[in-house]
Amino acid sequence: MVVDIAGYRVADWVAMTPALVLGLTAMVLFIVDSIEPRPGSSSNAVLAGISTVGALGAFLLAGTFLVLGVGQPRGTGAVDLFNGQLVVDGMSLFFVVIVGSVTALVMLASYDYLDGESYQAEYYGLVIMAATGMAVMSSANSLATVFVALELSSLPSYALVAFVKENRGSVEAGLKYFLVGALSSSVLVYGISLVYAASGSLQLNAVAEALSGSVELVGVLGIGIIMVLLGVAFKTASVPFHFWAPEAYEGAPAPVSAFLSSASKAAGFVVAFRVFLTAFPEVGGLGGGEPVVDWVTAVTVLAVVTMTVGNFAAANQEKVKRMLAYSSVGHAGYVLIGLAALNTPDRGLVLGASMMHLLVYGFMNTGAFLFIALTDYWGVGRTFQDFNGLSEQAPLACAAMTVFLFSLAGLPIGGGFISKLYLLLGTVNAGAWLLAASLIVNSALSLFYYSRVVKAMWIEDSAGEFEIDSYPSSLYAAVVIAAFVTFALLPAFGLLSPSAFDAASVLFG
Amino acid sequence: MAGAFDFVPAIAALPLLAFVIALFAGQYMPKRGAEAGIAATAGSLILSIWTALTVAGMTGSETFYNENLYTWVAGVADSAVTLRLGVLVDPLTALMLVIVSLIALLVHVFSLGYMNDEGETGLPRYYAGLGLFTASMLAFVFSNNILMAFMFFELVGLCSYLLIGFWFREDGPPSAAKKAFLVTRFGDYFFLIGVVGIFATFGTGLFAPVEAASGTMESFPHMAEMAIEESETFFGYGAQTWMTILGLLVLGGVVGKSAQFPLHTWLPDAMEGPTPVSALIHAATMVAAGVYLVARMYGFYALSPQALAVIALIGGFTALFAATMGVVKQELKQVLAYSTISQYGYMMLALGAGGYVAAVFHLTTHAIFKALLFLGAGSVIIAMHHNENMWDMGGLKDKMPVTYWTFLSGSLALAGIVPFAGFWSKDEVLFEALIHGVGTEGTLGAMFLLAYAMGLLAVFFTGFYTFRMVYLTFHGNARTDVARDPEPVRWNVKAPLAVLGIGAATVGLVNMAPVEKLTGLHIDFLHQWLDGPEEGGWPDALSTDLHHYEELLHNVPHVDPAYPIGGEQTTLIVSAALSLGLALGGVLLARSLYGVDEPVEHTDKLGGAKALLTHNYYQDESQVWLAQGVTVPLARAADKFDQGVVDGVVNGVSSVSLFTGSRFRRIQSGVVSNYAALMTLSLVLLLVAFVVLGGVA
Repeated sequence: MVVDIAGYRVADWVAMTPALVLGLTAMVLFIVDSIEPRPGSSSNAVLAGISTVGALGAFLLAGTFLVLGVGQPRGTGAVDLFNGQLVVDGMSLFFVVIVGSVTALVMLASYDYLDGESYQAEYYGLVIMAATGMAVMSSANSLATVFVALELSSLPSYALVAFVKENRGSVEAGLKYFLVGALSSSVLVYGISLVYAASGSLQLNAVAEALSGSVELVGVLGIGIIMVLLGVAFKTASVPFHFWAPEAYEGAPAPVSAFLSSASKAAGFVVAFRVFLTAFPEVGGLGGGEPVVDWVTAVTVLAVVTMTVGNFAAANQEKVKRMLAYSSVGHAGYVLIGLAALNTPDRGLVLGASMMHLLVYGFMNTGAFLFIALTDYWGVGRTFQDFNGLSEQAPLACAAMTVFLFSLAGLPIGGGFISKLYLLLGTVNAGAWLLAASLIVNSALSLFYYSRVVKAMWIEDSAGEFEIDSYPSSLYAAVVIAAFVTFALLPAFGLLSPSAFDAASVLFG
Repeated sequence: MAGAFDFVPAIAALPLLAFVIALFAGQYMPKRGAEAGIAATAGSLILSIWTALTVAGMTGSETFYNENLYTWVAGVADSAVTLRLGVLVDPLTALMLVIVSLIALLVHVFSLGYMNDEGETGLPRYYAGLGLFTASMLAFVFSNNILMAFMFFELVGLCSYLLIGFWFREDGPPSAAKKAFLVTRFGDYFFLIGVVGIFATFGTGLFAPVEAASGTMESFPHMAEMAIEESETFFGYGAQTWMTILGLLVLGGVVGKSAQFPLHTWLPDAMEGPTPVSALIHAATMVAAGVYLVARMYGFYALSPQALAVIALIGGFTALFAATMGVVKQELKQVLAYSTISQYGYMMLALGAGGYVAAVFHLTTHAIFKALLFLGAGSVIIAMHHNENMWDMGGLKDKMPVTYWTFLSGSLALAGIVPFAGFWSKDEVLFEALIHGVGTEGTLGAMFLLAYAMGLLAVFFTGFYTFRMVYLTFHGNARTDVARDPEPVRWNVKAPLAVLGIGAATVGLVNMAPVEKLTGLHIDFLHQWLDGPEEGGWPDALSTDLHHYEELLHNVPHVDPAYPIGGEQTTLIVSAALSLGLALGGVLLARSLYGVDEPVEHTDKLGGAKALLTHNYYQDESQVWLAQGVTVPLARAADKFDQGVVDGVVNGVSSVSLFTGSRFRRIQSGVVSNYAALMTLSLVLLLVAFVVLGGVA
């Protein structure tokens, strides 16, 4: 099998190189660490450098492939690997871009954050392995690979949340995450088995084909689809399988929270998009007929509930990090609109808007959590009051945080404004007024709690007498880069959105 | 070649520059910024005269100018409104530019004597204010659209606020400034709605059509004319009714600025400002702005009989009403303040009654003689060490002859004694009101006659209060020590007085319409100036000429002249004799009461009317009552509504949100088995909802 990439005829597995690069990086980290196996003896700089370069490489490769048209109709067309178990298309590359960029930012920031910790190599290795899993998730085209890839990304995540072993909160959060994750995985895998029972196939296109005629075991299929939906909801931190998220994000080291809430969520969504739009379009009534299992309505309900629960709970928090955790749940609700507001001929627009929102979110949310990492580093407390007057000592970081928060709220200071606007447009096109209304109400509410942080940083007078004595350069750099990209996505949104809309349209055939 | 019209924007830009210079560099100048102001206004005057000569056709063939110079809001769609700044120069503009820059220059010079020589502090602020004031008024005068006019109208209002409140450390001036600002703002509020209405109706605010590369841009008075001809409807109103509504809204601003009843109350209080500022406000800038605006868009008002009737009635009533209040005032400047209100009433009367030329003529003569009177009063006030009470003066005639004779010239003009300026213009105002009142059918004619009657009666009072003021100030024996030994004034006071004194005596000669009509000599220059050439020229291009206005008045509201007593000449003579006789009667009564060595107060003879008049018909009181009795409770109710209902809803929403949030928060109990239970439960719920109830199973 050969494909034609930019004029070079190469083997088809080359299209998977972004994920392979991540996997290789993890191997290299193992090798480097085994040179000096004693904990804490490997050089932090070398480890962080390797992982940052690896993640950056995956990001750049995926971006280049996207530009070259790999996997897209204008280039090679979707590249099927291993009999369609994996697929490389516009959407998979787009999500590798998100995962790669978030991972690179997190790795860069971790250099300072991990300063003085033991088991650094393990940390970097776990993050890169989880990222590998996520990259594979974006290409997974069969329920079997979906499950394997999902577990590949989940298992390192459990360990990462509990990484600070001497911290009770961290360990507790890791354990809870693991237990909830185990339950969710069992729900997912049971759902997969039921779908297999109904369709006789695991490969997504084959499932769709099997289900396109009359389905015999409709009840089994229905239960299976709902269970798969909830199994994926765990990964995207959507209600009702979101319970782990606030605990894990709060307990985990802040860079890990950034990684999980941005990259892991994006990977969960790519699985949801691909599974439901490739395997179940006919069943859900997207082919034009009556829906057999109305999963579109189920997703609509989940979207509304997720937005509302996430934002309303976030409004009431005392700790900034926990507020961000809940807001992350709320954003999962926004993104679910891409799978819910499909009652329109222009489905590519709304799904593309969801993808773009995840891309912007990858930067603004990662940035916000990295800012928390920065305050952790300085030993500033975790509550809103502890942030009072912070701008006097760290104006640049606070300005960056302001950009993140306002962009998260959807103010026109960052790309979050336009992606939310497109989501709203998508709901209006589809006539999904319930989704539109909850998007607006929840965004308005979110402005309230995001501004509380901004107010604390810029307006309130500092109560304590703490002095910031050092400015960690790599952490700072990561925050500033994230802020710059968040801001730059406002004018540059139009440069990237066509590839998202194209990639999304492909899924609707 | 660059002609005068290319420099028209500089007429306003020069005083603006003076404003900047005086503000930032004034304190380093020997005269604290007066130099910049004088140089700038002199430059403006020269440019204005050049412009006027150009309009007169003496320097070239181009005799008018109407261009859009700057677009500050470009409409995107075809129907979108584009907002521009532009310059319109026609004879009316040119005349007004000369008047304003002349008065401004004289006021600047006079200020050297009144402010610098008296050792006032804060002079850079003063001269900066004067500069900005002059600049705004000049720009207002040459505005070619109503929005630009509105903007500069507002700036004029702001500057008057700053200058009236110049002595802000005392009690009176800040409060007077606030009052002037608020009362005129009340009128401007309606003006603003009118501007928006005009833009919404016509999509343009141009006073006169502009020839642009893309074709002719029509003016809104012309569009209104067409709309009435074709009986269009706007917002459910007939064209004529709608034009009346728009006209009256804009008139709100005019009534406020030109101090017409019932918004005139700010003007007497504005006497708290420095006297040169009063001169500028009364003669050429602020108060004149209102009347000028009506004249500027006369083609629009001429379309609405109701608006004309309202203008004429407000004018006639204000003329009489203010004159009666002027009769009992004790202070020199107060008398002048009421005379200003009254005289602007005449101009409004003329405009309402179809006497466009008469109004512009009276605006011109009044600018000269009122500036003169105020500067004369300023001179007296310097001499009297800032005591303004006329009962403390007396006998100043021999000690300040220049002031006396020029002041007398101004007073004769104000009273309307032949051959001083005021006689000619006031006579024409009343004559026009009379003939149009008789000639116009129906209610409109009756309104004109009523307004005429009030205006005529006011002539008597004008003669009386003017000469009461002259006799009390300058004649008789000195009643105080200061009056016996007044402080001398210098050239910078006397020179402007002399210029204006000669002007007040002679400026009426520019339009001796009665003489023209009796003798057949063509000496009604102002009339010709505003009428333009018979064929072509600016009247064709701009439609702002007298001939066009007369046509409109004839066609739409059917305002026509008629001569009740014999022919035109007899009516003219009778009318002139009547007004002159009444004026002389007033003067003679004043002479018999106050022209004695030791005058005494005669106001007690008025009985109950005295209290009424000295309290200005209790208008301030009633306005205060309106504010405290009606507006404050209303505001309180609105506040209650805002605090209770609006804020209540907002607070309610937020507390409900926070409450719900805290409930949602409780779901997160921290116990992992609860989570597992909830997850399983919701899975079951979804299965029931979408699989069992969804009819799948």
